[in-house]
Amino acid sequence: MKEELDMDTAEIEAKVIQFIATKVENLDASTINRSSKFEELGLDSMDTIQLLFDAEDAFGINFDSEEAKGFSTVGDIVSYIETHQPSAAPQ
Amino acid sequence: MRVVVTGMGVVSPIGIGVDQFWSAAVNGVSGIKRITSFDASSRRSQIAGEVADFDPSTFLSQKYIEQTDRFTQLALLAARLALEDAGGLDAYESRRIGVSIGSGMGGFSTFESSALRKFRSQPVPPFTVPRTMANSAAAWIAIRHGFKGMNLTSSTACSSGANAIGAALDLLRAGRADVVVAGGAEACVLPLTINGFEILHALTTTSNDNPAGASRPFAKGRDGFVMGEGAGILILEKEEQARHRGAKIYAELAGYGQACDATHIVMPDMEGQIAAMQEAIRDAGMEPDFIEHINAHATSTPLGDTVETRAIKNLFGARATDIAISATKSMVGHSIGASAAIGSIATIMALHTGIIHPTINLDEADPECDLDYTPNVAQKRSVRTGLCNAFGFGGNNASILFTTLA
Repeated sequence: MKEELDMDTAEIEAKVIQFIATKVENLDASTINRSSKFEELGLDSMDTIQLLFDAEDAFGINFDSEEAKGFSTVGDIVSYIETHQPSAAPQ
Repeated sequence: MRVVVTGMGVVSPIGIGVDQFWSAAVNGVSGIKRITSFDASSRRSQIAGEVADFDPSTFLSQKYIEQTDRFTQLALLAARLALEDAGGLDAYESRRIGVSIGSGMGGFSTFESSALRKFRSQPVPPFTVPRTMANSAAAWIAIRHGFKGMNLTSSTACSSGANAIGAALDLLRAGRADVVVAGGAEACVLPLTINGFEILHALTTTSNDNPAGASRPFAKGRDGFVMGEGAGILILEKEEQARHRGAKIYAELAGYGQACDATHIVMPDMEGQIAAMQEAIRDAGMEPDFIEHINAHATSTPLGDTVETRAIKNLFGARATDIAISATKSMVGHSIGASAAIGSIATIMALHTGIIHPTINLDEADPECDLDYTPNVAQKRSVRTGLCNAFGFGGNNASILFTTLA
């Protein structure tokens, strides 16, 4: 049953991109993809922290803060969420 | 050197913008209603003066809404309106534009919601601290408009707004700024603040079914204040520079007085109130006989309104009954750190229009409150001087004096 609640990769990606788009004024969400770097998108360090917070709330996960420090692209976040969604954790 | 008011912006339970606010105030419209921002049905006090039509998304992007508490958002809108009213400050160097804002509780809404998450072991939002800190409203006004001069915040409970405006006068006189965006903002219609004031028996709890009649300064049987929220901002400049840039001038900010009771942390003290009014009058180079209008602190608590009445009678003697007194809180409730900034705008409008707005809900006055409080109906009175009083917890008494320029 739990698996059904999980989002697939495309859904996760879309949600993360939607969060990013609210962080930067006049950023066109259609230009953001998995390989987009935070820096290139204009996200500052506080924006990134807020982004991780939004994702934690939305996906019910907790980012390991050491691992999260190494994130630099949209794909880094999406992959982390994919592997750490509640159903992916050992029961 | 004279300091003048060249712009005003207000966000209040009876209107956004000076025109809406003043028209409602003159007509004695109450902004007190049942609380809508949270479920207050089990509270002893279920009413407040909320800014019902406030929508931050009309002037802030999602990013900035996320980063700001409601009190900052109210301040940002009031500042924007005041700056528009003043015709912008392009004539000034950014380093010479100061900001001086008062707030009693700062971003308490953020504090309350983040604390709740913490107790539930949920992640704490990253902007918890920058949204909560008392100086965030002043900082955001600077960020949004590029004002790079002195940036100060006064947090002295209910007198915060008056001290912020007074501090702005001092900055201009000392030459530390050429123009100051000054006022107050507060957004504490919240479960915890309502509860906190309830436990002190400071709030009225008998008018939940008659919100409009709840805030009744100086009235017989009043039993506490009604929580309010809002923001008021003034643009203050040196007269010479204001004239040079062709600004319209509403009034002069002529004096500021402050005195601490140094007695009790929450009880009012007549001597401190007298001292604050006296100092504002002296600071303006005037005598008590010159005062024609007082926008009273008048929160509608049994003790507070009586003590303020006694202070006025002591300071002004036989002339006290000639002074046109008015209580803005009868219509908007008590917006703590914003109250004196909103009261200042009412004072300035009284000078500017020759109309004293009424103290509503004053059908029968407390026998101990026997001055002319402009009961229920606005009065045409061409006044040239007006004091705005603000007395806060901490025994913090402030009074500011506005005059017409004639």
